[in-house]
Amino acid sequence: MLITEDKDIDIFVASKIGSFKHIKYHTDSTKNSKKCIENLVEIKSLQKDDSITSMVWGNEDQTEILIGKKNQQVQVYNTLQGFTKTYTADFGTGDIVGLGKHKRRLLAALSSGTVQIWSKKENVVVNTGGKLDRMKVYEQDTTLFATGGEENELKVWRIGEPAPIFTAKNLPHDWLQLRRPVWVSDLTFLAPELLAVCSRHGYVRLYDTRAQRRPVCNVEFESMAATCMAPGFDDHHVLVGFGRGQLQQVDLRNGKPDKGYKGAVGAVTSVVGVGGRVVSVSLDRHLRVHKANTKELVYKQYLTSKLTGVLVQTATSTPLKRGDTEIKEEDQVEEVEVKEEDMDDIFDNMETVGETPRKKRAEGTEATEAKKMKPSTEGSTVEIEDPDPEERIMKLLRSTEKQKRKIEKKKREKKAKSVFHNA
Amino acid sequence: MARGKDKKKRKLEKKQEGDDVPKKVPHTLESLREKDETMLANAEAEEQEEAQKDMELDEMSSYFEKSYEPKVLITYSDNPHSKTRIFGKELSRIIPNALSRYRQRSSVKRIVQSAIREQVTDVIIVNENQKQPNGFLLIHLPKGPTAHFRLSSCKITKELKKDHKEITAHRPEVILNNFSTRLGLTVGRMLGALFHYEPEFRGRRAVTFHNQRDYIFFRHHRYEFTPDGKRAKLRELGPRFTLKLISLQQGTFDSKRGDYEWIIAGRRHQMETSRRRFFL
Repeated sequence: MLITEDKDIDIFVASKIGSFKHIKYHTDSTKNSKKCIENLVEIKSLQKDDSITSMVWGNEDQTEILIGKKNQQVQVYNTLQGFTKTYTADFGTGDIVGLGKHKRRLLAALSSGTVQIWSKKENVVVNTGGKLDRMKVYEQDTTLFATGGEENELKVWRIGEPAPIFTAKNLPHDWLQLRRPVWVSDLTFLAPELLAVCSRHGYVRLYDTRAQRRPVCNVEFESMAATCMAPGFDDHHVLVGFGRGQLQQVDLRNGKPDKGYKGAVGAVTSVVGVGGRVVSVSLDRHLRVHKANTKELVYKQYLTSKLTGVLVQTATSTPLKRGDTEIKEEDQVEEVEVKEEDMDDIFDNMETVGETPRKKRAEGTEATEAKKMKPSTEGSTVEIEDPDPEERIMKLLRSTEKQKRKIEKKKREKKAKSVFHNA
Repeated sequence: MARGKDKKKRKLEKKQEGDDVPKKVPHTLESLREKDETMLANAEAEEQEEAQKDMELDEMSSYFEKSYEPKVLITYSDNPHSKTRIFGKELSRIIPNALSRYRQRSSVKRIVQSAIREQVTDVIIVNENQKQPNGFLLIHLPKGPTAHFRLSSCKITKELKKDHKEITAHRPEVILNNFSTRLGLTVGRMLGALFHYEPEFRGRRAVTFHNQRDYIFFRHHRYEFTPDGKRAKLRELGPRFTLKLISLQQGTFDSKRGDYEWIIAGRRHQMETSRRRFFL
């Protein structure tokens, strides 16, 4: 799907303090404003352990979002109805690092290395043998899920089978006969048998489960900690975000970095490639949208808290909740303004007790009239409230003098220009 | 047009306007600074609330709830020369409950580990180059963040012709000036969290971190009120130094594999688009 002009995309963003936001991003940049952002969680109610560590789509229609929190709670958010269900994943220690859904079964992975699959009859716990940094479910075939973490190589599992159907193997020792360290920080399915993996040790690897256990492609990034990745726009491209704020498209066919998307000042924590746009969130509290082919930064929004996850809705769209009410409110405001102007006469007729109320009113009217007023040429707006008529005349004279001078100056400049041209 | 004439006219205008017109504020790079969207002061109410919450839930919040007394470890790069050593010693006199230790070839990560074990709340590592202190690494424990500053124009008390013995053991008052953006607030909070939250006003000691154009100036004074109690006389105690933020990292020190909240390395030209753009 390619985004044509004049379309809006729904972006959902999760943050480290636990806030969860919906942003309507318009491809037409003039329509973007702060009104397109809405909070879906009451900010006052946030606690210390509400940090959102994982966020994924719960179904293919993209109406359900699964949110994993630091206090091991899994919340289900329906884009139309709001929060519906809450589960608690207290089968181990650590943060929730991955969520998924297979039919009616819910999968959750904890950073200590266990994955639990809830179902009606029984809860199956899978031990992945090491710490986990990420667990992902393949969207096209939800029976498949993959895990990986620090010193815990990529493993692909099938729901119902106790052993992994694929375990990756590390590269051979380097030329000094030293073991290469492993740290899977994020992974993504490109096809049922093709997986890409990125690491905090600075590599991006492509695994083909049919071919061999070792990676079929290895791209090294010297001393750059990769934090997140997403499938790119072709089947041989992936988008990789780094801990120092780089965001790159990696070509897994040539084994080379392909494009860099600039702009992030802090670690990129989550990235999505959708319809020719790269949507990324970063620890510097900004959401950014790049054009994929021109690498141009088209949208940047400050979202007040450190962001940890981003989802882009492509299947459907959700209206802003306060969208309708907003318009109504605006109308009301205008009405009130009209009334205020009527009130002015009453105020004028009233006796003034002190200076302050008068000033306030002036400010109010100024705010409404600010749009109509042209920016003054002299840098300050002259208030015509001087009691002395003589002074007023003086001022007027002076201002006219200034204007005269200005006109003269302009004329001279024009002359100079013309002379220059003639020469 | 003759400038002198203009000046005369302006003067005349001024006279006519009288004294009650407030003095115009001169335009400086600071007053004309580019608007930063992360500035708390000009944010909307909702945004402000969230930023407030963000600060309430960050790693330094337990200090601002006064739940612990800060304990600071000051250390150096290996084999520091005398100036750096003295600088560290003076820092440990300024910061209450601080101790200065030599590094003994230990790595930063191991220092952090053992500091957490000893319930140290902040670690300062002063780096040295060509006998001059030039780096200032500040690690808040146990969960970060880590700030890395460039340290420059460092003057120890001796160079200011002062005596370090003048620095009393009273807990100082801390003044954090001009930290306005979200990043600046975090940095200010980190610096503030080094000192005990209850100053001893008897000591009349004040420590200032003044941010101006992204440079953080440190000064250390003793003050005395004039007999009429309207003004304060200042006596600088020293040392003085200047800090400039290089990076702010989430978590404790891990320069290779860590996640940065803000880093300028590699994107200076992209970020420093104008002389009027400041980050703190």
